[in-house]
Amino acid sequence: MKITNLRYLAVLAAAWAMSPLANAQSTQADDATSVPAALPATEVPNAPRVIPGEKSWRLGIGLGYGQRTNPLIQSEDIPVVVDLDIAWFGERWFFDNFDLGFTLMDHSRFTANVVARLNSDRAFFGKTNTRYVNFSLTAGGAQEPLPASPGTPGTGASFDQPVELKIPDRDYAVELGLEMLLDGEWGEATLRAFHDVSGTHEGYEISADYSYRWIRGRFSIAPSVGVAYKSAALSDYYWGVHADEVLPTLQGYEVDAGVGWQAGLRASYYVTKSMRIALSANYERLQHSITQSPIVAEPDVIGYFAGLAWQF
Amino acid sequence: MRTRLTLLIASCFTALPTVAADPPVRLNVKPLLCVLDKNASSCVVSFDIRWQSTVSGEYCLNDEAQAAPLRCWPSALSGEHRQERLVTQEFIFWLSPPAGTTRVAEAKIEVLRVGSTDRRRERRSRHVWDVL
Repeated sequence: MKITNLRYLAVLAAAWAMSPLANAQSTQADDATSVPAALPATEVPNAPRVIPGEKSWRLGIGLGYGQRTNPLIQSEDIPVVVDLDIAWFGERWFFDNFDLGFTLMDHSRFTANVVARLNSDRAFFGKTNTRYVNFSLTAGGAQEPLPASPGTPGTGASFDQPVELKIPDRDYAVELGLEMLLDGEWGEATLRAFHDVSGTHEGYEISADYSYRWIRGRFSIAPSVGVAYKSAALSDYYWGVHADEVLPTLQGYEVDAGVGWQAGLRASYYVTKSMRIALSANYERLQHSITQSPIVAEPDVIGYFAGLAWQF
Repeated sequence: MRTRLTLLIASCFTALPTVAADPPVRLNVKPLLCVLDKNASSCVVSFDIRWQSTVSGEYCLNDEAQAAPLRCWPSALSGEHRQERLVTQEFIFWLSPPAGTTRVAEAKIEVLRVGSTDRRRERRSRHVWDVL
């Protein structure tokens, strides 16, 4: 991973400098919209019990079975057997499952954070295989090794030898950006804009997501939809085949910018206060230009999980 | 060897009754959990309450919210009761002798607020492929 760009630190420093303003705004908002932590039961004559404040740490674990398909050629699906939820929320800073953030504003209608995160596209490139391909020429019923042409890019070896077909390596990128979190009776929405600050892909991503949660008895169900625009630089870095990666088995390809979308459904049945049965399904459609890449076999990513989840 | 093992297992079981003896009165309440969404402050629950005792006697069912017992059973070994109730916070149902403060059995009703009272936590949805 290359982390050479200091913009990341500069923006976080700027966020830190703005913290007094954020505190002032937040305090006003809290006063105006604070929800009682514990509403006294009207029928309970005893003094109302105050629900203790939330801990800074949030720890959860999900155990079960699921998987996420891998759209890359000659790749393996990603099994999901354990899902960890690790988060820490301070007054302004937070760590939320490898997102490091700072709250700029926290109002009754929205929260604005500056967040540093790792790009998620890289995850698919950790589950790929290398294959060796033999080329042969079939003519008149006879099969002969294909002669190598002079100047063939790649290994330069003769085609009578097996040729490596390998998905190019990709690095994790550290991205810095802003997120706006909104909620109300209408549901929850998230707007995000992130740019690479590690000099890895030099691109950016803008996304919008919406979800709505229903609770009936012990059941909770939350469908969600989202769209994401990925710049040409980001898309091409991960999903393109660059000039220095062209092989006899892998033709060059440049990915354009585009919009992908996703839809998901999460359901829970609360068995106890800390344990629930969790079901999750998600469909993600890759943007069109990515689906045309020679290293992409499937135009979508399908994920699902079923298991038990504990929150500590 | 087998005899020694059998004796060992037998001694384990003979010790069990004193450790895991059934309580004389058992109180079962369903459901034990009220699940609240972030904007909800209460849920209306119809509780199915059943109790059984190994000793016949007079038992009264109490609700923390009520000064007087919900119901009393004279000289009974078991009883059933259905109670509809607004739940806003944790409370306890318990069985006691009439006019007594001793709780011979109790069941705690818990309240789970889905999500967080911290707006930032509540609003931050996890990544698309996280399952929790």
